[in-house]
Amino acid sequence: MLNGAILQVINGISFAALLFLLASGFTLTFGVMRVVNMAHGAYYLLGGYVGLAAVRASGSFAVGIVAGGIAIVLIGFLIDRFLLRRVGENHLAQVLLTVGIAFVIGDLSLHIWGGDSLKVPVPSYLNGPFELPGGLIYPAYRLALIFFGAFIGVLLWLLYRRTQIGAVIRAGVDDPEQLSATGINVGRLFIMVSALASFLAGMSGVVGGAFLTIYPGAEWEILVYALVVVIIGGLGSLEGAMVGALIVGLLDAFGRWLLPEFSYFVLFAPMAILLLVRPQGLFGKEF
Amino acid sequence: MKLPAIELELISKQFGGLLAVDAVSLMVANGERRVLIGPNGAGKTTLFHCISGTLQPSSGCVKLFGDDVTKLTENRRTELGMGRTFQISNVFTELSLLENVVLALMGTVSRKWTVHRSVGHYPELRSRALDGLDRVGLKARADDSVNDLSYGDRRQLEMALALNTNPKILLLDEPCAGLSPSERQGIAKMISTLPRDITLIMIEHDMDIALALADSVTVLHRGKIIVEGSPAEVQANSEVRDVYFGNI
Amino acid sequence: MSRTGILFALFVLTFAILLPSLAGPFWIGLVTQILIFGLLALSVDLLLGQTGLFSLCHAAFFAISAYTVAILQVRYGLPTILAAPAGLLAGTLLSVVFGVSVRTRGVYFILITIALGYIVWGVLLRWSSFTGGDNGVTNVPFPSVGVASISTQTEYYYFVLAMISVCTLAYRVFINSPFALVLRGIKGSETRMRSLGYRTGAHLYVAFVISGLVASLAGVLYVYYNRFVNPAAASFPNSVEATLMAIVGGSGTILGPLIGSGVILGLRNWVSGFFELYATLIGIVFIVTVLWAPQGILGLFNHLQIRRRSS
Repeated sequence: MLNGAILQVINGISFAALLFLLASGFTLTFGVMRVVNMAHGAYYLLGGYVGLAAVRASGSFAVGIVAGGIAIVLIGFLIDRFLLRRVGENHLAQVLLTVGIAFVIGDLSLHIWGGDSLKVPVPSYLNGPFELPGGLIYPAYRLALIFFGAFIGVLLWLLYRRTQIGAVIRAGVDDPEQLSATGINVGRLFIMVSALASFLAGMSGVVGGAFLTIYPGAEWEILVYALVVVIIGGLGSLEGAMVGALIVGLLDAFGRWLLPEFSYFVLFAPMAILLLVRPQGLFGKEF
Repeated sequence: MKLPAIELELISKQFGGLLAVDAVSLMVANGERRVLIGPNGAGKTTLFHCISGTLQPSSGCVKLFGDDVTKLTENRRTELGMGRTFQISNVFTELSLLENVVLALMGTVSRKWTVHRSVGHYPELRSRALDGLDRVGLKARADDSVNDLSYGDRRQLEMALALNTNPKILLLDEPCAGLSPSERQGIAKMISTLPRDITLIMIEHDMDIALALADSVTVLHRGKIIVEGSPAEVQANSEVRDVYFGNI
Repeated sequence: MSRTGILFALFVLTFAILLPSLAGPFWIGLVTQILIFGLLALSVDLLLGQTGLFSLCHAAFFAISAYTVAILQVRYGLPTILAAPAGLLAGTLLSVVFGVSVRTRGVYFILITIALGYIVWGVLLRWSSFTGGDNGVTNVPFPSVGVASISTQTEYYYFVLAMISVCTLAYRVFINSPFALVLRGIKGSETRMRSLGYRTGAHLYVAFVISGLVASLAGVLYVYYNRFVNPAAASFPNSVEATLMAIVGGSGTILGPLIGSGVILGLRNWVSGFFELYATLIGIVFIVTVLWAPQGILGLFNHLQIRRRSS
């Protein structure tokens, strides 16, 4: 029983690492640019497919990750420039627009890559089981994912809390009007933050596709998790994305293990209770 | 002795590091015309928000006609007779002028919950709303959309909304802001003709209007009351002059 | 509603009444669908058009009422006279619970309704021992109440047409009511409404539950039409499509949701015959509508009318 619980903890944390990669971009996009991008899940999907193609072509997982990330940076830029820019801060329009974009990306992906679940090949040194202290066997890849997620998390945190750019970004999250008054080139800042969010999304598709596989519909399933992370953690907060991802990852793992038929309920009920008590989430701004 | 319409006891409001209102105590008698003046950032609008219930004070007590309303919500205070206008016109731009005033009229009655009859079924609403618009000279434009209104007319509509909630106390936040001199005169005249069973507190920057309408004046500076008295007393006070002309 | 609007509605109604004698089962089925999903779209627009709240969980109420009816009739053999009201009640009760989301506004409200909708979808999918999981519930009979029973598609079509006509008239009364005016006031400026004495949260909550009731009604009508229900009925794309219908037709209007339903479902049925990328097309309709025609068909029509009158 204890072994089972430990396994679920690792499951939860490794899933949390993936969720953090995806949710951090989503929450920053809202925090800085006040944009709700419901195509973020589709970015994950497309990044995964492109990364898969890159891995097949090059034989390198790292190339796949970078390719997936860059593909979404490019597409994300075009979407921002030609579509999202036109709706400004109208959240309703943003949601509808990006849902439409997600429909297009999802459907086109279906027609290019078909309906089967595809797995991104994992590098051989990460393939297979790993023996943990205490004799537990666990997939090496998912353990590596935890470290990768933590690594990216630390990088992002350093960027956010310890650099000048991060200070500017935080100022933008706190008070968007003041940001333009400081003389910073807001347009360029937005492009940078958006590119970062896009890269994270595309990359997470490759990383996730290596153990969850990629399939039509994955874009909505993963997006829902990211939404719960962001609702619990608080829109716009990087720390919130970290804490939220851990909570969601662990709830999901234990929910599936203990109450498989109600796992979604186990996931969402705490979110609903939190909403009653604190609608802006753990680290979100009051409204 | 009649209870004061408004009594504030040591009202303070803190926003993070900023103490916007600092231990303000004041009393406004029933039917009085009180004007609140002070330089920008003195905390006048924040004080209004505490009185009307838009904001909860960090500490202190608000009493309306002797009853402690500090814990009551904004809409509850309106039901008890508090009406207010906003510094920036807060009217319903997508609705017609008539609908705006109808909303003001319905705010404190149970009619607002009716789902099974149309508004037109209640002719008294329409006629009272038209009267309300007439008082501010906007009756002719009753069915126009607010979007078509000039700024001056919107300020008039703003007044009409507050007046039609059946207020016993009116908080007017810079009713003349942004208006032309003739428009200011119009508003000032309307305010001066309001019946004495309504208590008035006004924030106003236009000294002539403020001092002409006021029974007494309270001067706020950096969240604190520095002077209170009749218009003449306040005008003559050197501290007030310092605050306004920069000898702080 | 203007005179043109009433004439248009009468024209469409006449055509709808004559439809079964003009066209075959495919068209009867399609128009039944259009009417039912038009009602779902109406429930969404009751919130969106009147209060400004954008709810993406209405497919959940739709699905729960459909499933309740299906399970009660198929598995427990209950008659329509019990199953249908029970379905309506179940969906409405869910909206009473989900109504807590009204404590939030703007983007938070949107996100929370998305997540709530997913709870229902997920439970319907994963609790397969009770709901049938992916396979859903099949063999739902036509409704019958005592002597009055429906046995053909055409009879059900007329029943649905009658229900939707009644609902449309009721919606017209609702939109013109004091309560709806209050909702539009809240949509315009919630702060102003509070200072005028309104308990805005309470009004929004009641509006949410009323819209949940309407969505539940659509669900009941749906399950007797489709004779089958599966988790897709509660899916996010279903909620989103309902919203799109409301917007394409013209948000805030009485007939907009129905018109939007006709456009979207008509488009789907016409296109899927020869074009595989249906979802892409719907996505493009989203994008085009949001960017270039957010006021929808009726909105554009009204705009042109105003232009014509002033020139």
